[in-house]
Amino acid sequence: MIYLDNAATVKPDEWCFKAAEKYLLSQFYNPSALYAEGYNLHLELKQARENILGLIADTRNFSLIFTSCGTEADNQAVFCGARRGNVVTTLGEHAAVFSAVNELKRRGQEVRIANLNADGSVDEEHFLSLVDKNTSLVSVIHVNNETGAVNDIAGLAQKVKAKNGFALFHSDGVQAFGKIPFRLTHQIDLYTINAHKIGGIKGCGALIKRKNLVLSPYIYGGGQEQEMRSGTENVYAVKCFEHCALQRYKELEKTYDKIREINRIFTAKLDKQLFGLISTDKCSPYIVCVSAEGVRGETILHEADDSGLIIGTGSACSSNAKKRFSRVILACGVNETVADGILRISFSHATTAEEALRAAEILNTIVKNRKEKMA
Amino acid sequence: MEQVIIIRYAEIHLKGKNRGWFERIFAVNMEKSLKGIRHEIHRYSGRYLIENFSDGDTDLILNRLSKVFGIHSYSVALKVGHDMEQIFCAAKEVSCDSGLFKVETHRADKKFPLNSMQVSAEIGGRLLDCYEQLKVDVHNPDFIINVDLRENGTALVFNKFYKGAGGMPVGASGKGLLLISGGIDSPVAGHMIAKRGMSLECIHFHSYPYTNMQAKEKVIDLTKQLSEYTCGTKLNVVSVTHIQEEIHKKCNGDFMVTLLRRFMMRIAEKIALKCGAQCLITGESLAQVASQTVEGMTSSNSVIERLPVLRPLCGFDKDEIIERSRAIGTYETSIQPYEDCCTVFLPRHPVTRPKLNEVIEEEKKLDVNALVEEALKSLEVINI
Repeated sequence: MIYLDNAATVKPDEWCFKAAEKYLLSQFYNPSALYAEGYNLHLELKQARENILGLIADTRNFSLIFTSCGTEADNQAVFCGARRGNVVTTLGEHAAVFSAVNELKRRGQEVRIANLNADGSVDEEHFLSLVDKNTSLVSVIHVNNETGAVNDIAGLAQKVKAKNGFALFHSDGVQAFGKIPFRLTHQIDLYTINAHKIGGIKGCGALIKRKNLVLSPYIYGGGQEQEMRSGTENVYAVKCFEHCALQRYKELEKTYDKIREINRIFTAKLDKQLFGLISTDKCSPYIVCVSAEGVRGETILHEADDSGLIIGTGSACSSNAKKRFSRVILACGVNETVADGILRISFSHATTAEEALRAAEILNTIVKNRKEKMA
Repeated sequence: MEQVIIIRYAEIHLKGKNRGWFERIFAVNMEKSLKGIRHEIHRYSGRYLIENFSDGDTDLILNRLSKVFGIHSYSVALKVGHDMEQIFCAAKEVSCDSGLFKVETHRADKKFPLNSMQVSAEIGGRLLDCYEQLKVDVHNPDFIINVDLRENGTALVFNKFYKGAGGMPVGASGKGLLLISGGIDSPVAGHMIAKRGMSLECIHFHSYPYTNMQAKEKVIDLTKQLSEYTCGTKLNVVSVTHIQEEIHKKCNGDFMVTLLRRFMMRIAEKIALKCGAQCLITGESLAQVASQTVEGMTSSNSVIERLPVLRPLCGFDKDEIIERSRAIGTYETSIQPYEDCCTVFLPRHPVTRPKLNEVIEEEKKLDVNALVEEALKSLEVINI
């Protein structure tokens, strides 16, 4: 079975689970406890926090709050970051941000949403025109999870701050962390990362916060995570996350170049008569978004699955257009026929060129066959 | 003082010499529905008593009984001996401590020293002495305390009648095959027919890979919910993918639904005859959608050779169907957004009043028998 839905989740690294195993059984103490055994775990968490944070940011200027997932971190950023005025975001956001701002809107806050370019990146001009002196929060996804489009968050943050120095800048970096090279600049206030998209365990994410930024908690309780996120810490998941992240960053550039090459091989092999590319060279090489125009994505997904290839899709079997088509894909300016045939092929550090090549062949065969049947 | 449940049956009491047969099926169904719960069922004249169960299971038993067809009403009662002191204690137990009430007594045991009026007066009087806030009102009481003096030396005391599911015991009216789609209507249609005593088997058509596994899972969930009323059932799942592809390729696209329905009927009839079902049941409601016109029904009926097709929802409005769907508990599942038959092939302007000769002419372009046989090979049977 070839697994190319790595943007959904990545096959876990077995060794990092083994390395963290002791935190499941022997080191089971509560890290908030005052006795030495608990305190030691508190130190382990602190170490993990610094190690992970240090990979993408200066630990003197940023802090890290462990959460239960990326969605929770995004929700904390949105609900605790947007306290007055308006909120500016984009049509390309993951549902974790998009649904959260919709809820803000329902509660009466003004929400402004920027359009996208054809590859799924934000239309910068439109975006910046929406930011004004009343903007309290801006949220822009770093790497779009459907098309792989990369937004220049450092540049955007700088421009936003130039217009309104008080606006908080948040970015969802779940598809960027551990995959594409970058460092957080001081204009970025909040940044979301996640463990299972880089080989860690599900149920562990983090919100990175600029130091000195006052943010209220989203979950109240015992005051863990510097009062920012209560709830007993999942030491095991955090340590797995730490091991994985350190490993990914050890070979980040090398893997990035390898995936760029795999991406090139894959897209070259895809039959251009059958598939239209949505992703461009500027997108993250980890994600390829294509449309088998005229054949529904989900149909191909099922057939590919039966042929030993697992991929993702942008459309579901629903007659309800709102549910059926991806909001992000439609915002890229394509028509419904193109949107209906969207497939998302996503690679991980472990993907090989042979797998990518075989996957392209399988997809070519399936779509050719299906188009003939439906002609 | 023991807690028991009294069950009164519905139409069965109208039956004549074959009443025993209905009663046996009814008792078996109750046993099936209470499977896994410790209990005993005893039959008395015109009613059943469920006894010897643990008090903690009462709610569970009541919930299960609410889905057994053939029950007119049921009550949770206290069982005591033929002794006024014990009867009073039970009455005190089931009585509220304030409000308007009356006591009603039925005396099946005519040897009991007091007549029913005297028993009611005596118990009522003692209750009034006991609770100051109680008042008697025989015309508009807030609650009624019922005392039932049985012939076997026991008395049953209770204050509530729960309405049962009504109808006839499932299995007393043969067996039908329900075409279940995953929408709101078909489970309701199945429920209505099961209520009249018919046991059900279900058939579902899917078009994988054009539809997904969640759509099938939804139908399995719906069938499970329906099976609570039918004491278990089977779900037959058949793929019509190739049939849809062939119609799409060879026929006028506007006839897609009309032609597909004819195939579904043919396949359903074959499976019905094999599993011993005596009719087909569909959730069609007249004029609800393009394919559910009388012409559409004529077209799909004309391929059925031996069985009647029951369409219990024909005269219902959509909101009436939704109301029933909520009442039987299938609505929440039905509205999940997974489709049973793919919209990829659906025409923009389906034929609403297909003329039979035109339909037959279109169908000639297809190798009907081969397609039906092929679809039957994809049959998967799931025991629910």
